[in-house]
Amino acid sequence: MEKLRFFIALWGCKTLRAFMRLLGRNATYLPGVFALRICPSFLKHIGKPARAIAVTGTNGKTTVANLLTDALEKHGKSVLNNSYGSNTAAGLACVLLANASLVAGHAKKDIAILEIDERSAMHIFPYIDFELVVLTNLFRDSIMRNAHPEYIAGILSANIPPGVKLLLNADDLISCSVSPVNPRTYFGIERMESDVVECINLINDFQVCPKCQSEIVYEYRRYHHIGRAHCPNCDFKSPDYDYSGHVDKEHGTIKITEKTGSREIKLPGDSVFNIYNALTAFAALREIGLSQDEAATTLTDAVIPDSRYNETKVGEVRIVMHMGKERNALACSRAFEYVASKPGKKELILMMNGLGDAKVWSENICWLYDCDFEFLNNEDITRIVSTGPRALDYCLRLRFAGVPAEKLRYSEHELESPKELAMEPDSSVYIFYGTDSLALGYRVRDAAKKEAGIKYGTSEVSRV
Amino acid sequence: MKIEALYPELCNLFGDAMNVEYLHRAVPEAEFVKTSLKEDPAFINGDVDIVYLGSMTESGQSIASKILLSYRDRINELIESGTVFLVTGNALELFGTRIENEDGTFIETLGLFDLYARRQMMRRYSSIYLGTFGEMEIVGFKSQFAHNYDDKEGNVPPLFQTRRGAGRKPGQKEEGVRIKNFFATNLLGPLLPMNPPFTHYLLSLMGLEKRELPYEKEAMTAYEARLKEFKDPKTGAEY
Repeated sequence: MEKLRFFIALWGCKTLRAFMRLLGRNATYLPGVFALRICPSFLKHIGKPARAIAVTGTNGKTTVANLLTDALEKHGKSVLNNSYGSNTAAGLACVLLANASLVAGHAKKDIAILEIDERSAMHIFPYIDFELVVLTNLFRDSIMRNAHPEYIAGILSANIPPGVKLLLNADDLISCSVSPVNPRTYFGIERMESDVVECINLINDFQVCPKCQSEIVYEYRRYHHIGRAHCPNCDFKSPDYDYSGHVDKEHGTIKITEKTGSREIKLPGDSVFNIYNALTAFAALREIGLSQDEAATTLTDAVIPDSRYNETKVGEVRIVMHMGKERNALACSRAFEYVASKPGKKELILMMNGLGDAKVWSENICWLYDCDFEFLNNEDITRIVSTGPRALDYCLRLRFAGVPAEKLRYSEHELESPKELAMEPDSSVYIFYGTDSLALGYRVRDAAKKEAGIKYGTSEVSRV
Repeated sequence: MKIEALYPELCNLFGDAMNVEYLHRAVPEAEFVKTSLKEDPAFINGDVDIVYLGSMTESGQSIASKILLSYRDRINELIESGTVFLVTGNALELFGTRIENEDGTFIETLGLFDLYARRQMMRRYSSIYLGTFGEMEIVGFKSQFAHNYDDKEGNVPPLFQTRRGAGRKPGQKEEGVRIKNFFATNLLGPLLPMNPPFTHYLLSLMGLEKRELPYEKEAMTAYEARLKEFKDPKTGAEY
């Protein structure tokens, strides 16, 4: 009976997918939803490539999955991935469905690199035999969906089958707690010049020893709970690195050392997140059998497209779009710290409103008080315009962060917000948007460009 | 004057910690004590004007609960003598009779009133919240794994009366617990910055009736806008 349901799902949803694509739709989610409704164990029966790697975690899973896919394709493998679809069970069902043969549902590719939403673990891990689970990191995310990272670690531990090997970030003690009896390998980045010891962030999620409840001591800390730590009262400590990264920012390289030797690769950018992504990808490639040379070569010249950031110049003003990610205190904290650290006078537009929530409910704004708005209390930040549904909440939070009232402006409508900017010569305007407000963010950028054009009497725009 | 925040290394989720920070900024002359897990609380040996406990993880609840049980009699004595307690998010559950897990196990809690919490770890409940505290209107948010249930119906005085969102459990008007100056609610996050009138009320209990709040103008503007939004029937209540 189960097999019959599977074949009905396979053939029916393949037909649905073909029909949707004829209509010009992407068909990367809905056919999977129907497949799982018809056959709840669809993921168990659908043909999968002989080898499957899972990439999960709060941040960086898309980037790491893309780096692995590109590297393996360069290495001559045919790779199945879900980069164009959803990372939930329905998205995976869809991508496996699309790549399965019509008659028997057999897979056509050599290897699958599947990005997995960590909250969907229970719907995916029991049905697919992964040879490796890559866990990038675990941070706070949506309060409503993800609660807190320890909760997500618990979901992963409860659903990753025993015996499946894990590749973990040793600098993230929350990730390290996942599935403690499974075989595991660790990567990490050695102390960097910019590291600190005391936490300067509001979010600091690993303060207490899980064995004896003493206060954990950090030897160095990159941000939040990322760093190396130990308990002063028992034997609990960060695990040793199997893949140890040494970053040379001056030369833009990372030297990765493992038992069998070292290799140096070019850094894919200056953000620590992306340095971790490159190291994670290298370690994963090694774990799935590439040699050091092959892993280093295939990652050389890897480009990490920074969809979170773009900048243009109009007259004497730089206009920068920077992803803030709504409802995500950690992503916004990292973005705020990055922008505050950049030289020169800046004005900001804050518009990372949860527009999806605003249509139906009212966005839960608790995350604003987990987020380091304090980085924006900076003398080079001369004006901050709050706009959109949560603008008044941003204003209060900014005052809480110590930003003087005279620097604050309020604009109810996003498209009007650039009118509140001074746009002084040689200054920058940063527009903080989220995934919900991405399209609107581009329109606000265009409105800001228009304002700058009027001020400086030019319509000339140059990409920086 | 003394404000004590209990276990900040655990109780740091969802922006709850900003409640006690807001109180401290409103009363900068007060001594602000942060008590860690390995320290004895200041309330054991001396007078404290406000004791605060906020949201934590489920494992944090087990740790905090075990420690607080050893101070049960003193906490009861302080509540009876009128010390102000402010308790937000799932910290409320530590003062009831028990926290039940889905597998039938439970965590023993202080048992200061006849409410117990029942967790459903795969069914997180989230909502906006609109309620009243006397004549005062209260706004906030809920996002929780457990609801609270009465061991004996009707014998625990509530903190708020609910208009939108869930009370102690969905469908119940009573929300939270108020016993003398013990104020406990499942509302999480920046309850005080979001509710300047309620913050004024708490300060009045400390004899600070006329104290201006930090950023009061911005806080009131945001409060009034949120009230309007939450009263609008087009704004959905449960996520």
